[in-house]
Amino acid sequence: MSEYKWRYGLFLGCVIPNRYPMIERSIRDVFEELDAELLDLPGASCCPAPGVFRAFHIPTWLVIAARNISIAEELGVNPITGCNGCYGTLRDAWFDLEHNPEEKKHIQTILAKVGRTYKGNLEPKHIVQALYLDMGLNYLRDRIKYKFNDLKVGVHYGCHIVKPSDKRPWDGEYENPTFLDEIVELTGAKSIPYKDKFMCCGAGGAVRTAVKEVAADFTREKLTNMRDVGVDIIINCCPFCHLQLDLGQVEVNNFYKDIIGEPFKIPVIYITQLLGLAMGMDPNRLGLMKNHELTGVSPFTSIEPFLNLVKEQL
Amino acid sequence: MTESKNEIKVTGKEEPKIGVYVCHCGINIAGVVDVVALKDYALTLPNVVLAREYKFMCSDNGQSLIKEDIEAGLINRVVVAACSPRMHEPTFRLVCKEAGLNQFLFNQANIREHATWVNMKDPEGAYEIAKDHIRMAVGKARKLLPLEVQKVSVEPSCLIIGGGIAGMNAAIDLSNEGYKVYLVERTPTIGGHMAQLDKTFPTMDCSACIITPRMVDVARAKNVEILTYSEVVEVDGYVGNFDVTIMKKPHYVDQEKCTACGACVESCPIVCGNEFDLGMATRKAIYIPFPQAVPGEYTIDMDHCIQCGICARPDVCEPDAIRYDDKPEYLKVKVGTIIIATGWDLYDPTELKQYGFGRYPNVITGLQMERLLSSFGPVLGKPVRPSDIKAPHSIAFLQCVGSRNFKEGGHTYCSRVCCMYATKQARQYKEKHPEADIYIFYMDIRAFGKGYEEFYESAQREYGINYIRGRIAEVYEGKENCIVIRAEDTILRKLIEIEVDMLVLSCGLEARADSDKISSLLSVQRSADGFFMEAHPKLRPVDTLTDGIFVAGVAQGPKDIPDTVAQAKGAASGAAALMAQGEVEIEPYFSVVIEHLCSGCRSCQSLCPFGAIDFDEFKKIAVVNPAKCKGCGTCVSACPSGAMIQNHFANLQLNEIINVAVKKSTIENGGK
Repeated sequence: MSEYKWRYGLFLGCVIPNRYPMIERSIRDVFEELDAELLDLPGASCCPAPGVFRAFHIPTWLVIAARNISIAEELGVNPITGCNGCYGTLRDAWFDLEHNPEEKKHIQTILAKVGRTYKGNLEPKHIVQALYLDMGLNYLRDRIKYKFNDLKVGVHYGCHIVKPSDKRPWDGEYENPTFLDEIVELTGAKSIPYKDKFMCCGAGGAVRTAVKEVAADFTREKLTNMRDVGVDIIINCCPFCHLQLDLGQVEVNNFYKDIIGEPFKIPVIYITQLLGLAMGMDPNRLGLMKNHELTGVSPFTSIEPFLNLVKEQL
Repeated sequence: MTESKNEIKVTGKEEPKIGVYVCHCGINIAGVVDVVALKDYALTLPNVVLAREYKFMCSDNGQSLIKEDIEAGLINRVVVAACSPRMHEPTFRLVCKEAGLNQFLFNQANIREHATWVNMKDPEGAYEIAKDHIRMAVGKARKLLPLEVQKVSVEPSCLIIGGGIAGMNAAIDLSNEGYKVYLVERTPTIGGHMAQLDKTFPTMDCSACIITPRMVDVARAKNVEILTYSEVVEVDGYVGNFDVTIMKKPHYVDQEKCTACGACVESCPIVCGNEFDLGMATRKAIYIPFPQAVPGEYTIDMDHCIQCGICARPDVCEPDAIRYDDKPEYLKVKVGTIIIATGWDLYDPTELKQYGFGRYPNVITGLQMERLLSSFGPVLGKPVRPSDIKAPHSIAFLQCVGSRNFKEGGHTYCSRVCCMYATKQARQYKEKHPEADIYIFYMDIRAFGKGYEEFYESAQREYGINYIRGRIAEVYEGKENCIVIRAEDTILRKLIEIEVDMLVLSCGLEARADSDKISSLLSVQRSADGFFMEAHPKLRPVDTLTDGIFVAGVAQGPKDIPDTVAQAKGAASGAAALMAQGEVEIEPYFSVVIEHLCSGCRSCQSLCPFGAIDFDEFKKIAVVNPAKCKGCGTCVSACPSGAMIQNHFANLQLNEIINVAVKKSTIENGGK
């Protein structure tokens, strides 16, 4: 057996490798530091997206999701993902199949044709779930080296990580969850309550693809609410929310410049980037500083203000 | 009771002659299965000498059929294939008894609940199951033995658990009828939740003005012994003869010496939240709950007291009544009947995060609003917002908080009082502040009682209270701690967002958190909603399934004050009827020891949950006390020598049921 305390199979999905490779980098580094091994899932496909694919054809969505889970099963580890959308698909599909033996049998038959076996004995997890439930706050707290005491954070959960409540591991806590805030506050930062904290980022359910202005309008409202309470940065746990809050700021500043007044420039940081920094890891590796070895897109909204704020503590 | 003169002697040795009577139960049974075929099937069973079917066996004519057959000497055992024995076993036993046959030679096959009702859509399956039931009932009937009922005297006294409006009313009624009553209340005063209310709907009479004199009546009633700050810790025995142990919790104040001068309260340095005002006002560590408390006894709350000794100083407590070393006292009483009137707890809305209770200061519960409105409450009847102690200009009420909620953690039932109490509170506030805006968010208004609909109508028309049909989705805090409500108006079909100064959550009623303790103490069942279960929902609404134990008030299910009082009177009347008879029959289902088989190993003695087994040191055998034995059968299954027999459920009888149940399938499956 491995010498790691925990082992998971990292399901990357689409947005992380295509748009924000630094999110993957930070997840891998932080988990390594936390004594958790992340295995690659060879041959993993799109999750497939819970809003789009499920809305068109549930059986197709189920088969592809079950196939992705079966790759982790073959390695004997829980699939884990850093994306709320992938989490929504993998966990809902797993949950639905566990509660519908007939459908499960049907899916198993289909997968058998491509030589895959689906068992359903390993629950798909979100990286936040692994941090909060598997490792626990005390374990994380012991590894924090730096405290960002003056940092005011607007925490954005996103949707799929908490809902539907009966398929999630948060013990019925879905109207006002605090698990992500608790992790953020381990770093000494303060999670600032703001209006409609649990509102959608605007991107989900193919809204971003279909009507970008509407998606940006959601984002505008969220950003306004966050700016009203004076947050320094936005912390999230989903690359799609990350995209919408990051690139979305450019769009909002463009579409709604007449009503927003001052353009938005709030740095958007992924949870493991903040956590990694607090654990004393290299900001270059976490994708927080411009790194020439790292390819991919740099943030649309500059994170310089954040780095300036935490510089002194580091 | 007319008992037949020519009693039929049955010893169990003669050949059984069984009569089977198949009931149509209107179409309940006959509408699903062929009752004539069932009758014919019964005739094929061994020892069945005659079988009949009839529309309603429980009717006068149906009963006569059985009676005539017994009296004609045709049968000496009776099987009725009909409904559940819960309702009609006593009916048919009486028929046997009146016809001169020992009533325990009767057996009932339940082919309605167990066959035709549950398999309504599968008549063939139902028919097969009905046949099985009849065959098993006939099998047991073949092995039945005559038994004699035991008569026990009934102690003319009653234990009432809970001193709220239900318990108090039952106590007064029973006292007036001449029965001794022990009224046990766990808080330091009687009065219950009703004492916390300000006015009562729909008559708007002052709750305190009704209940305070009632509390004094109870204190004066000559046969009522009030045991406040006490709890029932042990109940032993059976109908008519319950042995009850009551723990009187220590007051830490010698009530004999205390003159209730109140000097100790003034001197006490500890200030804590007053439970009676739901934490919205303070009390000292030594206190009486509220000025009108009965009995007006001072109590030290040891959870908060630091034993500084100031109240015990001779210049403070002149009569020297403070006892820091006071110990609980145990009181043993014997009662014939018990009434459960333990009341309710308010649903705690903290878990419903979307309504902000516990997060936003200006979100309160309905019961807190009641205390705010109360003329002897924390703000003397002039409600204010908790955040700034100013009168709110607008209030919203949200109905069905915790009730009619099919999500996890909610209660599915309707709490029956919230629509009216919210309407009442809204009207009361409007009377004080006609300019205020009041909104009531509801699912539908249930104004079912006498005068309730009129009360609701006038709240809308004359008081201008805004009723909005739709639930609140979520609330958040706006400027100056105002509550911004997001909801849907389902009549106008639009989403609305309004800002109010205060939000009142009309929380529902739920069973007491520790109901399970009472339930196991008294062996009383509870229904799925947690409230105590009545013996029959229509015909025995105040009895429990345990003989001699009655239930009154919200302990049985949510109800308003008039219904609670009516049920309390019903429970008192049920208890009185039992005690007036002086003696009751108890079923002879106790275990008996076959002396020559008993080896005296005492296995049964340690296992008996009712302490009904003694040991005869001279004969070295176990002895069962029939009065204490509840017929659970634990000793029978534990006895290594097979020396225990439980009457009416003997091994011989149970084996016969199993034999005939199994035999059929082996034959139908081809012999072996």
